[in-house]
Amino acid sequence: MSKKMRAYILNILAITAIFLVINLMIDAKILSRSNRSMLMDVGIAIIMATSLNLTTGMLGQLALGHAGFMAIGAYTAALVTKHMTVDIALSFPLGLIAGGLVAAVFGIIIGVPALRLKGDYLAIITLGFGEIIRVIINNLPFTGGAMGLIGINRATTFSYVYVVMVLIVISLFTLGRSRHGRAIISIRENEVAAESTGIPTTRYKIFAFTLAAFFAGIAGGLYAHKMGTLSPATFDFNKSIEYLVMVVLGGMGSLTGSIVAATVLTMLPELLRFLADWRMLIYSIVLILMMLFRPKGLLGTLEFSLVEVWDFCAKYVKKAFAFIKKHLPKREQKVIMPEVPKYDYANFNLPVLETDKLGIRFGGLQAAQDVHIKLYDNEIVGLIGPNGAGKTTVFNMLTGVYLPTEGDIMLLGKSIVGKATHEITANGIARTFQNIRLFKSMTVLENIKVAFQTRMHYSVLDGVLRTSRFNREEMGIDLRARELLSVFGMENVADVRADSLPYGQQRKLEICRALASNPKVLLLDEPAAGMNPIETEELMKTIRTIRERFSVAVLLIEHDMKLVMGICERIYVLNYGRILAQGTPEEIATNSEVVEAYLGKSENTEREK
Amino acid sequence: MTLLLNQLINGLQIGSIYALIALGYTMVYGIVKLINFAHGDIIMVGAYTALLVMTGLGLPFYVAIVLAMAVCIVFGVLIERVAYRPLRSSPRISSLITAIGVSYLLQNVAQLIFTPTPRPFPAVFSVKPLVIGELSISFITILTIAVSVALMILLQFVVRRTKVGKAMRAVSEDMGASQLMGISVDKTVSVTFAIGCALAAIGAVLYCVAYPRVQPTMGSLPGLKAFIAAVLGGIGILPGAMLGGFIMGIAESLTKGYISSQLADAVVYGILIVVLIFKPAGMLGKKTREKV
Repeated sequence: MSKKMRAYILNILAITAIFLVINLMIDAKILSRSNRSMLMDVGIAIIMATSLNLTTGMLGQLALGHAGFMAIGAYTAALVTKHMTVDIALSFPLGLIAGGLVAAVFGIIIGVPALRLKGDYLAIITLGFGEIIRVIINNLPFTGGAMGLIGINRATTFSYVYVVMVLIVISLFTLGRSRHGRAIISIRENEVAAESTGIPTTRYKIFAFTLAAFFAGIAGGLYAHKMGTLSPATFDFNKSIEYLVMVVLGGMGSLTGSIVAATVLTMLPELLRFLADWRMLIYSIVLILMMLFRPKGLLGTLEFSLVEVWDFCAKYVKKAFAFIKKHLPKREQKVIMPEVPKYDYANFNLPVLETDKLGIRFGGLQAAQDVHIKLYDNEIVGLIGPNGAGKTTVFNMLTGVYLPTEGDIMLLGKSIVGKATHEITANGIARTFQNIRLFKSMTVLENIKVAFQTRMHYSVLDGVLRTSRFNREEMGIDLRARELLSVFGMENVADVRADSLPYGQQRKLEICRALASNPKVLLLDEPAAGMNPIETEELMKTIRTIRERFSVAVLLIEHDMKLVMGICERIYVLNYGRILAQGTPEEIATNSEVVEAYLGKSENTEREK
Repeated sequence: MTLLLNQLINGLQIGSIYALIALGYTMVYGIVKLINFAHGDIIMVGAYTALLVMTGLGLPFYVAIVLAMAVCIVFGVLIERVAYRPLRSSPRISSLITAIGVSYLLQNVAQLIFTPTPRPFPAVFSVKPLVIGELSISFITILTIAVSVALMILLQFVVRRTKVGKAMRAVSEDMGASQLMGISVDKTVSVTFAIGCALAAIGAVLYCVAYPRVQPTMGSLPGLKAFIAAVLGGIGILPGAMLGGFIMGIAESLTKGYISSQLADAVVYGILIVVLIFKPAGMLGKKTREKV
């Protein structure tokens, strides 16, 4: 039986066992009223912390207004159950869903402008939104204002909280391990690289933010029906901070870490009640010490895995599993390979990529002007020029990072000017970067899997529910990714963290990742930078192999003349943003203008003139 | 008209206090990229010190200010040394959480020592208000604005013209490179915290004279607002903090005077959001583009 299967069974058993034990304890009156209330608080805190972890941990965007979404959900759900005249058994779940949905709508409203900001500015704008939500609730006619909303049916039970919490945590977990989760994490790792490997970053940011708001809204609904009364003051800035602390303390990006931290931090103040005035003091000291000694949180980005623990301590149980396996129905699954885009080859003699009078102006600076580049199928073309000539600027225009102010870019006969970077990637241009941009804390294999994004089709729901479509596509890209790695002789480092690779291999991985999207045109920005002569030699071989195996046209920027002259069939020389010369390597090497641009005029030629 | 002028002057008074506190936020952010959430609680430390010096020891107001500054500087430098310095190379969010921890710690220690009951701050000045036509401006208002403006000019001078100011600017640009140029980063960061806390102490005393209630959680609100002022102006930029402070103060005071005091906070946050949407790096901040 596969490890995955064992993990499923173990987790289901553990989840059911906890549920039964606690319910038995409640029935047997072992747990007091306040104990029960505390357990419900724990469940709600877990939903809040894990959903915030989606925004802050996985997406990497610091948000300080999570309590605002909770407030929206709480008030919406409470108003629904108060005003609906049906039985609470029906109106309560409806209220919860309504709470989640309204919070999600606000998530979009807030997310669209806010997510354009980065880092601390995003933190502050979410803080601002969170506080505004509170002030508005305070002043609305139907929320009870500062006096609070009272008489809410106290329908929340431990079982309710538990089931909802388990469902949310599981869906966050499975989502995180689908292509959508990978896309979200890749944005945290390197937003520019994510966009140019074909991830629609804006859409995923808003999606993650909204989903987190949705879950927070549901948690709010549970909270409202647990308390029976609501007051806007509960959902202030400090509440948001409380959940953020849980996320960071548990480890950013680790859902199990969030669960542990939420449980401990919710129970701690209750358990320390005997310390009276000292308990908050102890809480703050614990917080500081925790951060000083474990700055990355309890679990870092690791996940606690029941199955690992199990395998470690009980090997003999495998026999029992083997027995179950024998009696389980077998099911063969057909692997779905990532889509191979069909490029239009009808006009074989036309260039695959062509620019026409391409130019860009930054304020008063004309960084590129009148650039004509033609790239035919299966060609290797060099783009050279002195530093500051505008070579990378041309790449940035080709990939939609910069919007050209003049001219046109045709890819396979169609203009791509004005398209977003990820769309251009999907249409067939892939690139590498001058300064390596890998998804550093992901493994080598995952780095490549992210790039299959544009060639995969299963939906978010497929990912959350782990449908057979999810399994088949994931198996497909796993095969393809390993195959790709083996072309570069890197299959043995598939599970290594990307940032632990040596420099040369990091460059190779970047090329490998670019190829995963199955491009028609590959742009390499200084692939040999920082390489020694032997590595460069090897790189030349690799580039030739790429052209043969993947039938791509390669356009490369490079300063290493040995490489450029060695593998390029044609060369464009850029100087001061204009094409200075073009031709075969021999023509370029003897072109006096080119030599002059690189080395300057010699005194003799000056005198001759 | 009189109401408008009165509100404007009130806004300038509270705004200049926000500006003084915001300077501490912005300087620290500029140099170590940390949102120092404990900065607001330094205000509380300054307020209690001044209160104790004046009511307990019976010393005059001016001595109270100096002692409050001294105590706040010690606190600030110590906090940086113990809680933030070890985390300088950790993920930034870790130091953010530590700052929150320090903030809770200061509040809770104060609660244990002084109890949560608010204490009145003694009235300091009995100078008659300045009367111009129908307008009357209290002495403390004039003093607050004058002191704040003078301190901001002084700070600008220190940062632009002195050696330590040059070191601060260098460290905020590139910590590693400044170290290689022979600047002691640790010392410069300490000086930055010291200056920020000294300004906060002065802000604290002026705040107490305007709102004479001293309690353990008193620093949170002005702290948060000053921080927002810093972001509004462009965090890390000194004139931005001043501009942000004045805008916040005036907006708050006008909303209180003309709309409703309940909505004052919403208006302030609303301004923040609108500014950030159109100027993502604050009013005076420059938009930086990530180089690809």
